[in-house]
Amino acid sequence: MGQQSRARTAARARTAEMRAAQAQQQRRRRLWRAMSSVGVVLLLVTGLIALKIAGVGGSKPSSAAPSTLASRAVVDAVGTVPKSVLNTIGTGTASSVPKPIRAPALSVAGKPELLYVGAEYCPYCAAQRWALAVALARFGSWSGLGATHSSSADIFPNTPTLSFHGSSYASEFLTFAGYEITSNVRSGTGYAPLDPLPATVSSLVDTFNPQGSIPFVDVGGKYTMTGASFSPDVLAGLTQEQVAAALSDPTSPVAKAIDGTANVLTASICNVTDGKPGSVCGAPGVVAAKAKLANG
Amino acid sequence: MASRTDRSGPVAGPAVGETRAPRRLILSSLALAVLGLGIAGYLGYEHHTASTTLSCPDTGMINCLTVTTSTYARFLGLPVSDLGVGYFLAMVLLCLPSSWASPSLLLRRSRLALSALGALFVLYLLWAELFQLDAICLWCTAVHVVTVALFGVVVIGTALLDQQA
Repeated sequence: MGQQSRARTAARARTAEMRAAQAQQQRRRRLWRAMSSVGVVLLLVTGLIALKIAGVGGSKPSSAAPSTLASRAVVDAVGTVPKSVLNTIGTGTASSVPKPIRAPALSVAGKPELLYVGAEYCPYCAAQRWALAVALARFGSWSGLGATHSSSADIFPNTPTLSFHGSSYASEFLTFAGYEITSNVRSGTGYAPLDPLPATVSSLVDTFNPQGSIPFVDVGGKYTMTGASFSPDVLAGLTQEQVAAALSDPTSPVAKAIDGTANVLTASICNVTDGKPGSVCGAPGVVAAKAKLANG
Repeated sequence: MASRTDRSGPVAGPAVGETRAPRRLILSSLALAVLGLGIAGYLGYEHHTASTTLSCPDTGMINCLTVTTSTYARFLGLPVSDLGVGYFLAMVLLCLPSSWASPSLLLRRSRLALSALGALFVLYLLWAELFQLDAICLWCTAVHVVTVALFGVVVIGTALLDQQA
């Protein structure tokens, strides 16, 4: 009996040891699987970083292309926004206005100059350019305006816009100097250069825009502005033709943003052209914008 | 054979048949989930309040604005920052000591599945940052690190937990 009991106890102990060993093995296996899954994730993260460093895959090819000439319909629409629409919209959804500065007058051949510095890849430039083009068209005429879109790899990708690169502007009231410092075509870690800034312009930008933000606008040395007055998101998914067509629809969010900003810019231009021409500077939409300009 | 009292408390591995994860792992998972919630909350706040009419920022590799306002900042129509807040909120609840102690298999699997989903999403976002946007957002990277660490802690914790599985 004693021997049988000892044998049973020994068998139970062996069984318990075997179960414990099996459990231990299972535990190791589970831990191994867990560690492996963590290792796989870490390996994939490291792999992605290594591929980037090695330059494999590169960045998404930009769908950007150099600007082309804007269509006649687009240029006409920009230059013929009905006065009634501009007056109805007033300041629209323009959220920021040019700020007054103390500086020597910016002028060329006795006419005040409006200076613009931007880049074709820049979505905020893409938005503000429309308003600048509409505002300036009230004082003169455009030729050679380009059509392009902002970078496809930046924020607000592919915002449809115009380009001042290669364009010319004629007006009896003011002159315009526009610089698109880069295109929207990738080059190295940035974008291909377009219009080099003359030393005088660089100096001016350094003085009034030390951070080098774009778009930068200087209205006759009396006002400066950086950034856009409305979100480029308003233009998302549209073509240049669709944006241009919407400019004459006072109910369109596009018109409220672009025409509203154009009125604000027009008001600042009127302050450097001595209120000329009266037909533009006395328009109700511009008068409303002057009040916004004065209130900052 | 060592008795339960010979073990160094809940910090050590659980005994055979025990269903409790080590306390350090439980607390680590909770801390990571809370940390992730904080950072994701900040990114969400920035997403919903930051101005969208700013000037163009520089186009260097480290550029949060490029990332947080890109097309990849939304997933299935929802801001990724909001998804992050929701994810970490759920993980905080799933990583509470009481949740770890719960015998519910559904709870364990939800915690494991959600943490794995988080890690996969990190891989997707990392790919987008590196190969589509050419920009890295440091705050987003902090969230990514926390998410992968949380995945590691949850997976190992679950492996130790599943003693009876």
